[in-house]
Amino acid sequence: MSLDFSTGDPRFAVDRPALIARLSVVLPADALLTVEEDLRPYECDGLTAYRCLPSLVALPENEAQVRAILRICHELRVPVVPRGTATGLSGGATPHPDAVVVSMARLKKILRVDPFSRTAVVQPGVRNLAVSEAAAPYGLYYAPDPSSQIACTIGGNVAENSGGVHCLKYGLTVHNVLRVRGLTIDGESVEFGSAALDAAGYDLLALINGSEGLLTLLTEVTVRLTPKPPLAQVVIASFADVRRAGEAVARIIAAGIIPAGLEMMDKKAIHAVEPYVKAGYNLDAEAILLCESDGTPEEVAEEIVRVVEVLDNSGASEIRVSQSEVERLRFWAGRKAAFPAVGRVTPDYLCMDGTIPRKRLADMLEAIEALSRKYALRCANVFHAGDGNLHPLIMYDANQAGELERAVAFGAEILELSVRFGGTITGEHGVGLEKIDLMAEQFASGEIAAFHRLKAAFDEDGLLNPGKGVPTLARCREYTLARAGTAPVTFVAPKS
Amino acid sequence: METHLADFIKDTAEGREADAILRACVHCGFCNATCPTFQLLGDELDGPRGRIYLIKQLLEGRPVSEKTQCHLDRCLSCRSCETTCPSGVNYYRLLVIGRGLVEQRVPRSLAARATRLLLTEAVPRRWIFAPSVRVGRLLRACLPAKLAEKVPDIVTAKPWPRPAAHRRRMIVLAGCVQSTLTPNTNAAAARVLDRLGIALFEAPGAGCCGAMRHHLHAKAPALDDIRRVIDAWWPHLENGVEGVVMTASGCGAHVRDYGVLLRHDPAYAEKAARIAAMTRDVSEVLASEQEALSRLLRESGTDRAGRRVAFHSPCTLQHWQQIRGVVEGLLAAAGYRIVPIADAHLCCGSAGSYSISQPLLARQLRDNKLAAMTASAPDVLVTANVGCQTHLQSGGTTPVRHWIELIDERLNGVC
Amino acid sequence: MIDTLETLTENWADRVAETADRGGTLAIRGGGSKAFYGGPELGEPFDVRANRGIVAYEPTELVVTARAGTLLNDLQAALAEQGQFLPFEPPHFSDLATVGGMLATALSGPRRQAVGAVRDFVLGVKVLTGTGEILSFGGQVMKNVAGYDVSRLMAGSLGTLGLILEVSLKVLPLPAAEKSLRLTMDESGALDRLNRWAGQPLPISASAWHDGVLTLRLSGAVAAVAAAQRTLPGDALADDEATVFWSSIREQTHAFFAGDAPLWRLSLPSAAAPQALGATLIEWGGAQRWWRGGDAQAIRAAGAVVGGHATLFRATDAMKAEYGVFQPLSGPLLRIHRKLKHAFDPRGVFNPGRLYPDF
Ligand SMILES: Cc1cc2nc3c(=O)[nH]c(=O)nc-3n(C[C@H](O)[C@H](O)[C@H](O)COP(=O)(O)OP(=O)(O)OC[C@H]3O[C@@H](n4cnc5c(N)ncnc54)[C@H](O)[C@@H]3O)c2cc1C
Ligand code: SF4
Ligand code: SF4
Repeated sequence: MSLDFSTGDPRFAVDRPALIARLSVVLPADALLTVEEDLRPYECDGLTAYRCLPSLVALPENEAQVRAILRICHELRVPVVPRGTATGLSGGATPHPDAVVVSMARLKKILRVDPFSRTAVVQPGVRNLAVSEAAAPYGLYYAPDPSSQIACTIGGNVAENSGGVHCLKYGLTVHNVLRVRGLTIDGESVEFGSAALDAAGYDLLALINGSEGLLTLLTEVTVRLTPKPPLAQVVIASFADVRRAGEAVARIIAAGIIPAGLEMMDKKAIHAVEPYVKAGYNLDAEAILLCESDGTPEEVAEEIVRVVEVLDNSGASEIRVSQSEVERLRFWAGRKAAFPAVGRVTPDYLCMDGTIPRKRLADMLEAIEALSRKYALRCANVFHAGDGNLHPLIMYDANQAGELERAVAFGAEILELSVRFGGTITGEHGVGLEKIDLMAEQFASGEIAAFHRLKAAFDEDGLLNPGKGVPTLARCREYTLARAGTAPVTFVAPKS
Repeated sequence: METHLADFIKDTAEGREADAILRACVHCGFCNATCPTFQLLGDELDGPRGRIYLIKQLLEGRPVSEKTQCHLDRCLSCRSCETTCPSGVNYYRLLVIGRGLVEQRVPRSLAARATRLLLTEAVPRRWIFAPSVRVGRLLRACLPAKLAEKVPDIVTAKPWPRPAAHRRRMIVLAGCVQSTLTPNTNAAAARVLDRLGIALFEAPGAGCCGAMRHHLHAKAPALDDIRRVIDAWWPHLENGVEGVVMTASGCGAHVRDYGVLLRHDPAYAEKAARIAAMTRDVSEVLASEQEALSRLLRESGTDRAGRRVAFHSPCTLQHWQQIRGVVEGLLAAAGYRIVPIADAHLCCGSAGSYSISQPLLARQLRDNKLAAMTASAPDVLVTANVGCQTHLQSGGTTPVRHWIELIDERLNGVC
Repeated sequence: MIDTLETLTENWADRVAETADRGGTLAIRGGGSKAFYGGPELGEPFDVRANRGIVAYEPTELVVTARAGTLLNDLQAALAEQGQFLPFEPPHFSDLATVGGMLATALSGPRRQAVGAVRDFVLGVKVLTGTGEILSFGGQVMKNVAGYDVSRLMAGSLGTLGLILEVSLKVLPLPAAEKSLRLTMDESGALDRLNRWAGQPLPISASAWHDGVLTLRLSGAVAAVAAAQRTLPGDALADDEATVFWSSIREQTHAFFAGDAPLWRLSLPSAAAPQALGATLIEWGGAQRWWRGGDAQAIRAAGAVVGGHATLFRATDAMKAEYGVFQPLSGPLLRIHRKLKHAFDPRGVFNPGRLYPDF
């Protein structure tokens, strides 16, 4: 089968043989993939519904090679799609038919761990968990802990401004990164942030966090390390109905408690993970809450008493407190493996990422239940409840015609509702390809136009990760008309 | 994951099995994080998620070349990815199916075939392997470094216990490689079990368990190996022998799979399944005798306790047999101090014949493993499989031993 | 009120567009409490205080939304009533300080090293751009990655990217307990200790060293503060004495800040060695260091060499003009700055030269 480039963007007229010839000079043979057999496994990230065969894949192993690739692509007007380890759930690293996918997975050196200044300098392909492992001997760790932390890269984390189960108390990626070195599309080095707590000029570091690979390619990151609390304990509360669980979340915060983590799983999620982790979750519960407390033993004891009291008053049917570090980790293991574990009960799922005010959690759960009936698709719920960040996992079977389309429409309704509840379409997974149309739900054309101008300040020709993050204005108009009922809705068609 | 299997395989038993495995994968990438080859090479194609995709392409009827073959060859079959996968993807089964198909479609070079032949034919045969090692040892000084490190030292075994009239008897596999390279392992196991009132013996004629040929896709000869083992053991098992003890986790993992491997052989299916069920790793046997063992340890005068031990758990123990923490528990109970080693889930690169077919990767993995094991300067390095033991040994000067020898020393003193 | 305020901001939008059309410039001004900070105020004064009031405050959501002209004092009083606060402890420098000015200057107080800066608590903004458009970014929820993070970009932009109309902030419950300790120690000893302590799970929420005296503040759960007080050296300060002290640091009423000598702010890696450049006051565990006087070039270089930067915080206009207020930017960064300015304020209406002389 030959590669079909006819679907590419007319803006990019890529001379592929010339590109290959140029890249082969700057990359070793095993660092440039050019044939379909090798390229196909790169066609998607963690969002498998959206796929696209890349033109080429480059696997640089140092910054000089990355720079050389960018220079060539910039000169030849070839788009570039940065990629970490492709655990992304919004299609941020999904290839573009004209683009070179630049995989950063080989830049995985931990350059420095400095316990005295509590910082680590790492290459972008270093896995999130590897940073904490390297810091552990010093009693330190890297606080943001996305559930994918075993596999996702720091570069990807910065690009998505990833959160984790402990970010209610310890912040998102943007709160834990001090400095980022990047390369602009023309291969020029830029530094955002500094070795200090702030930098001169605009806060570009904040802007780079969550920019989804659209502004620069990140080549080095300095992260802040946090001292490990002497003790952490997690309370698991079971509830006989989800509404109560949702309300308990709001009550904990209302009581002035900021737990280290506050997560929720509903029955379908519990049933999916329990066989894998054997955490001992209550299989009869309609929902469980995991509420973590950390600090000195006295502090933890004090907080746990208060948490248990609130949970008790909120109608929890069973409350357990982890009695050892091993047990605590087991309780969390289930939460962290929740998405893929759902793969045990369904061939495919779409993971939504809306964020809403906490007080609407219960309403949202009920709405999702109703939508689940409407679309005749099951949905498991896993929430970063403390932040109001929802991850409904819409289960579908990609091999059944029409199911994906139904799942996409189901998801869109959830996200529209998130916006209506005063929230956002994405809390931490990014817009990527997946939610690009829904941006029009949340932003008017003025903001979208401003985003495009902002992008142009970094990448005038729009070569970095084209088609992601921000919709074209034309596309926004189309979508808005469609939602108003005057034109048919067309979502980004997942390609097979 | 969405799949569209091609007609040639869609409706076969293998096709249906492969499809179910593919569909279970949700492409989360967790497995890549614990895959030794992905960690070294950083290419999606050299990690489980990519290999699954390569096999999917193959099953969907897309063309396949030596490129796919190369990435599948690089897989160590360590199954670390399966331990990690929350979605329960049976990667190894899919790999076996995929490799089988690739083998049919992509011809190998003459040299590659010759190496494979040598491995499938010579190593499992004790009468060829043992003398070759001896000759190799004599010549090692003249060999190039790369080959010389492949020629292992021969350790002489301490004596087996004198035959005792124990009521309880168990079979231990002599094994093809182990009996030549590390004969003290079975001897030590026998001495330890002897103290526990269990007589251990090697049944003559069993030979190789078949794992070596199996992993090199020599399907029929591999099954013949199994039948020969069964024939050698069966009379004893019918005659009141309690079970089979494995001292090499690689062989153990394979023997435990006998039932599945011979399920279509009417003459052997039942026996194979029974043997698989009666087989336990020596660590499991000891753990079930923990009480008696603790008593003996208390009584034993020789106290080498407090020594710091780095234990490399072979993939065939921790991932294939999912036995984790048992050996560590036994050693700790015997008074040894287990030092934690980084990336303990990673393969040491031995992986059957891998060190011969993929020498570069095998050496990198070995050196990384040795570095991790020796990071906190332990007194002893141990493992639980002869392959890992000799492979690790080839990379360093500190002796690498089987952990059972440490228990033996505590119970029976150093001879 | 809402209606009239909406009309007000629409009128403002017209005024901005009209100013741009005739090539004019506007100097945005709230309470003027931080007018001394940054470059000179050039352009027609534009008083934005009429746009004030708290738009929404839900203590259980930990979010407050206020119009930019709201007095910082009023906002903080409303939060205090519910037992909550702005964790980054913004300095006021005058009772007239507004919420907009707080965001535009992005100055944070003593608690910064422990909890984060202004930008870390910004959830959303509404701004009036240089083309007279009213745009909203971010929102009122804890996590939001839809679109670029323009809200945080506004923090510290000194009004050069647009006129801030409204801001949503994350707030937190007030700590249950607080205690300050004082001990004598030389500068290098203090820097060493501060860094070591920061690597341990201690509830240190503020630190200040000056003239051989180190003052620490502990905040958090009653048990945590008590436990830390037992492990850390130093004598406890009386509560009101402590309040006065930390306020004097935050508001720069401490004797160190008195007088006319130029005041430099060095933002450095906390572990940077002591810099022998003149009289010093150290905050943020070593990450913020104040200098009086000293050789401007040497100070700038000292900041850069350890990976930080220096700001000429208070000085005469002449001195600011000579040395620039902020650390000069590298070529590529300066280009990005110019283009960003252009993206939001293409005709350069707002606060020209307030951040950097060239835009
Ligand atoms: C099971 C599962 C659980 C998850 N849980 C969470 C969670 O709890 N919280 C959370 O926030 N996310 C979560 N995610 C989403 C995902 O893991 C994160 O978005 C992660 O940060 C992506 O990292 P990555 O290395 O895989 O990046 P990729 O997926 O490869 O890329 C993500 C984006 O970053 C860009 N990018 C990557 N590297 C660079 C670079 N060096 N320079 C510039 N741009 C770059 C890409 O272009 C793309 O737009 C989860 C995903 C899975 C599969
Ligand atoms: S961990 Fe499992 S589900 Fe995830 S990519 Fe690997 S095999 Fe697939
Ligand atoms: S079996 Fe081992 S080497 Fe092979 S894909 Fe799985 S983890 Fe990687």
